[in-house]
Amino acid sequence: MGLLATFVLITLLPCLCFAPPLPLRSSSASSTNPATSLVTEPTPEEKVPAEESEEEVRPPITEKVMRATLRAAHTPAKHGRTDGPYLIAQRTIVEDYCGWGWVRKENQSWRQATWIAIEGTPNLCPTPHAFLPKPEDDKNQQYRFYGEFAPYRAYEPQADMWVDVFILKGFMSMGPAEPIRRAPPAQASSRPNRFAERGANMLKP
Amino acid sequence: MRFWLSFALLALAAPTAQAHDIVLISGGPALRSFERYRTASHDKYWGNFIDSAILRAKELQLTIAPTDQIVWLVFRPSYQRRSQEDQDDYLKILEERGLKAGITPIYFDNKAQLFTLLRRDGSKEKPKISRLEYFGHSNKKCWMFDYSNRVDGGALEPLVVHVDDLDQISGKSFTSDAECISYGCHSGEEFSQRWRMIVGRPMIGAVGKTDYSEGGIPKLSTGKGGTWAF
Repeated sequence: MGLLATFVLITLLPCLCFAPPLPLRSSSASSTNPATSLVTEPTPEEKVPAEESEEEVRPPITEKVMRATLRAAHTPAKHGRTDGPYLIAQRTIVEDYCGWGWVRKENQSWRQATWIAIEGTPNLCPTPHAFLPKPEDDKNQQYRFYGEFAPYRAYEPQADMWVDVFILKGFMSMGPAEPIRRAPPAQASSRPNRFAERGANMLKP
Repeated sequence: MRFWLSFALLALAAPTAQAHDIVLISGGPALRSFERYRTASHDKYWGNFIDSAILRAKELQLTIAPTDQIVWLVFRPSYQRRSQEDQDDYLKILEERGLKAGITPIYFDNKAQLFTLLRRDGSKEKPKISRLEYFGHSNKKCWMFDYSNRVDGGALEPLVVHVDDLDQISGKSFTSDAECISYGCHSGEEFSQRWRMIVGRPMIGAVGKTDYSEGGIPKLSTGKGGTWAF
């Protein structure tokens, strides 16, 4: 009897342990529900509801995406006092050169533009790049500048030049623009250096 | 009688110990907001030109005549702006440091004021200058007191002593053996020569850049073959 019981256990246990897996709900549903099994799967075109398909799909323009991702997009569209006459200004960065960029009047070309350094007005309008993580983040951005030229100039030490200073009272952002392919002024303003040509008197180190 | 006459003549001819001024000029620091992202960033520490001037004053106090006086001229506006930026009171700090070294800053706000302060006639009130030393930003053509402080990478016109302005400094304000040194960058390339020709006193300046980063008296930047010239 004991042997019989053992035999039964040996033969039945594997059947219980290795029982076939239960069918999945979806597969069981599709296989068991005749109503659903009769419906054919819709194609991707048919998945879109009828009313949506009639709408015009307008993907974002690449230029708009590019503008939105620019860091300069974080400058306010308008800041400070923005009434009265203005100048078109374009941020231009020249390595190791004093100044902010070019300005021109509305009806002038960039060939007639003036290279400027700018000063913000305390409690009214800082420089536009003050809103950005780095000063060069608004490179080639265009603005409308409201303000006036200062009665003094700035000294550019690399080129020994005097640069006009614009005191900014307000600005409006106009977005990115093509770089201005023009070098800033570079001719020396002071008298020729006839003294340096003589050579310095070197001291022994 | 002859003895007394010769004694009186000798007493008259003997040079009296005349007081002279030793002038130390400290230019201003740049703003970090302008300089932070530059490849060659200036003035990470605000007090480069203050500490070096104070240290130099301590050195000079050991050697100068007791009648001589050290006059410390400091360009104020740049320290005020840097104080605003760093949320600190650097004018107060530099005054305290000066006090410890026994010198008091005399502030100037533009080059016109500096020229007035350098105008001497040898009187008791305005003794002649026997030594002048400059600590600050410069290039070969000028001293720039507010470099990169109000405009990015430059200095404003009223705050620059250009070689073309040197005729406003009179050689008569200096003693005949006065020594002048500029510890700014590149001064020895032209500024020194123009100073000697216009002001009439030799000025030692650097050919190449000077380095204030290690503290103390500025050194010539290494690796560029710089030297001191006059």
